[in-house]
Amino acid sequence: MNTDMTSASETDTLASDAKRLSIRKMNKHYGEFHAVKDLDIEVEPGEFLVLLGPSGCGKSTALRMIAGLEEITSGEVIMGDRDVTHVLPKYRDIAMVFQSYALYPHKTVAENIGFPLKVTGVPEEQRNKAVFDAAAQVQMETLLERFPRELSGGQRQRVALARAIIRRPSAFLMDEPLSNLDAKLRGFMRAELKHMQHELGVTTIYVTHDQIEAMTLAHRVAIMKDGELQQLGTPAEVYTNPVNLFVAGFMGSPPMNFLEGNVSESGLQVGNDKIPLDGVEDGMAITLGFRPEDASVVEAGQGRFDAMVYTAEMTGDLTLVTVKHGSSILTIKMPKDFMVDYNQNVGIQFDSELSYLFSTGDGARLKANVVDS
Amino acid sequence: MSNVSNVPPRGLFARLFEPPRIGAMAPGAKFIVYTLLLAWSAFVLFPIYWLLITSVKSAADVNGGPVYIPFVDFIPSLHAWRELFVVDYADTLRAYVNSIIISLAATALAVLIGSMAAYALARIRYQPNLITILLFVLVMAAALFAIGSYGVDWRLVLVVGVGIFYFLSKAVASRVHVPLANGDILFWMISQRILAPIVVVVPIYMMFQSVRMLDTHLAIILTYAVVNLPIVIWLMYDFFNSIPKDLEESAQLDGATMIMTFREIVLPLSRAGLAATTLLVMILCWNEYLLALFLSTAKAQTMPILVAAMNAGERGILWWSMSVVIIVMIIPVVFMAIVLQRYISKGVLLGAVKG
Repeated sequence: MNTDMTSASETDTLASDAKRLSIRKMNKHYGEFHAVKDLDIEVEPGEFLVLLGPSGCGKSTALRMIAGLEEITSGEVIMGDRDVTHVLPKYRDIAMVFQSYALYPHKTVAENIGFPLKVTGVPEEQRNKAVFDAAAQVQMETLLERFPRELSGGQRQRVALARAIIRRPSAFLMDEPLSNLDAKLRGFMRAELKHMQHELGVTTIYVTHDQIEAMTLAHRVAIMKDGELQQLGTPAEVYTNPVNLFVAGFMGSPPMNFLEGNVSESGLQVGNDKIPLDGVEDGMAITLGFRPEDASVVEAGQGRFDAMVYTAEMTGDLTLVTVKHGSSILTIKMPKDFMVDYNQNVGIQFDSELSYLFSTGDGARLKANVVDS
Repeated sequence: MSNVSNVPPRGLFARLFEPPRIGAMAPGAKFIVYTLLLAWSAFVLFPIYWLLITSVKSAADVNGGPVYIPFVDFIPSLHAWRELFVVDYADTLRAYVNSIIISLAATALAVLIGSMAAYALARIRYQPNLITILLFVLVMAAALFAIGSYGVDWRLVLVVGVGIFYFLSKAVASRVHVPLANGDILFWMISQRILAPIVVVVPIYMMFQSVRMLDTHLAIILTYAVVNLPIVIWLMYDFFNSIPKDLEESAQLDGATMIMTFREIVLPLSRAGLAATTLLVMILCWNEYLLALFLSTAKAQTMPILVAAMNAGERGILWWSMSVVIIVMIIPVVFMAIVLQRYISKGVLLGAVKG
């Protein structure tokens, strides 16, 4: 896959247990509603794959089908060399971390972590040792006698993780495990999660709607919309080379800037300025996109088109300049010492190499580019 | 101090009915509230006091007009207690034991079956077809009519009935689909309880008469269990629904079987609900009169029947004996409430999901 992963499988003995997880033509129908459409993903052994998409895109349903909590309408789930499509959850050798953590409120931390071993009949002495080891791995070994209600959000999250790792499962499934934490803790737990997955080398599928989580955690990201896989690739690939308007708009914060219009005389008319294009036909409805960091605010008349400054926000490491053009709101990342007045007319310059053209109708990426004039 | 205190002087009304400080109660309000509470307490507790003193009154004390304070207004005597627990102790004891056996067994049965039904309703999605149900009722009615009015052999009716039902459900119900959901099933169950018991008491009587089970424990136990099932299902459905599904799914993925999940996760978390439901059903069974009146004559008589019997003697209403029976009837319920109350605590689910 990439260097990150090979090093994971080389340095860790557990990685030899890591299994490939194949999802083939997986479908889910709820009556008339088609929740997941022909999902095809090969998850490499030890890979950290993130299913990313807006709420209601079918990503959680897909994860629940892989876990066996939801019936598969059609398709296959293969773990290693075992077809587990119709296998009960408990025989799949999968551990899942829920968004709610799903800790057993009437059991202590130790009992929660040890539950997977208890139900499979592991003798108590052996179990206690495993509980301690798993708890130590998430720095919870001093709180074993507490009840979940006596723990903070982050601690509950750690208990849920410890319960998932104690059994050394073939795969981890995580359903938005960080979304109930506050922003600071989320960033911290994200790093910890990534480190842990790297250490254990267990094949992981992680569901989130947060594209920053996806970018930072994933070896590969699978972006879904309306039950359909849009693009599957490394975070860098989906960021720099989005296949369609949806992916382009979903990845990145702030998101990509878009200008819509119809092509006339081989160019896109933006106010009084014309952006010349190559590879398009007159009359086509197109969307031009460029990322906030690939553009800059210049003197009026000096850029590719002019726009009006709406606001400028200093975020600490940079200044976000929001400009308005017609009904479009565009954001440009500028250095932190950049100063500009509100309602001032400015020019917007962007790199033709780092701009994207999409068909407005179906959102498909066009083999066309902006011409430097 | 005086610089910042800028409160205008308050009038009498404000001083009486405005809290002196945040979190405190106004003196006037306090007075009214405690007066009301005291009045209500007296109202509620007086009958119990009256029971206690009546049980130690003689017939003359009762019939000669109201007397209130023992040793002052009248001389208490244990004659009624003696009569029920020494002279007629066999009758009293039998009713007492009957009540205990019937209440415990009926409650256990109702809670066991009802909570399983409630769990299924809370966790499994059913989609019964209304047409199939209607067809079943129709065929059933026709079958009973054939047996009852024309004396057709029931074995023949059974075979033909099953055949016709199978054919009709294949032919009609597979084409016309009026799907019902769990909510409809639940409502159907609860609707059974809307029916006044007096409506069904005669059919139930005839049913048990025809199988020669009148005046047996089993008849009353079965009837009480069935009558209370809707309550158990209704209460427990809500309780099971309040347990996050994630917990059971997590247990499943952790390798637990259905039974283990139920025993390790669902049962401990629904203990409060089960305790409350058990207590409620227990009290309903313990105090039930109408059905017991019809279904028992001597051997299976319960305490409420014994209470009522104190009214039927040739000596008029035996208020003192009735009081004794009522007092001993109250004791086990109070005891049960104290035992079960430990489990009826809030917050068992705290910490399961989120904060």
